[in-house]
Amino acid sequence: MVRPEDIQAWIESGLPCERVEVAGDGAHFEALIVSAGFDGKSRVQRQQMVYKALGGRMERGEIHALSMRTLTPQEWQAQRG
Amino acid sequence: MDIKDRIHQQVTGHRVALYMKGTPRFPQCGFSATAVQILKHCGVTDFFSANVLEDADLRQGVKEYANWPTIPQLYINGEFVGGCDIMKEMYHSGELKKLLEAAVPAG
Repeated sequence: MVRPEDIQAWIESGLPCERVEVAGDGAHFEALIVSAGFDGKSRVQRQQMVYKALGGRMERGEIHALSMRTLTPQEWQAQRG
Repeated sequence: MDIKDRIHQQVTGHRVALYMKGTPRFPQCGFSATAVQILKHCGVTDFFSANVLEDADLRQGVKEYANWPTIPQLYINGEFVGGCDIMKEMYHSGELKKLLEAAVPAG
């Protein structure tokens, strides 16, 4: 079964990130991903970058469901207040 | 017709198109149910929808068409807007309602 730390490691290996947090129960996962690489990218492009980092695991159904928030470091700072 | 052509016709032939699991009345996945609810909250009740669970070609086809591995998928005027997360974010920020209002004339 896929663990949250697996997903975190896959994302970090495929995408330079300032911060990755993943929680989940093996079927449904939620992730917060903070990366400077998201700067200037649309929401769609950001998620596509994460999907790409996951190397086809979404497409193959290894990860059933992954909700994500994709933020630049500046957006992350602003959200934390 | 090629599946990509079929999808292209569907998304460009309707102002709002949603690929989902199940139907708007009977969604078969929580994320698809959320997508339908968000559209309703934005005042959109009449939209094109297709149930990918009934059509394996379509299910695979939409993933390749948008380079997006998950369902639901929302299109407005032929443009891929995003999946459930993006719909939620854009709903809360008010962007989605604006986008839909611009795409769907009132009344």
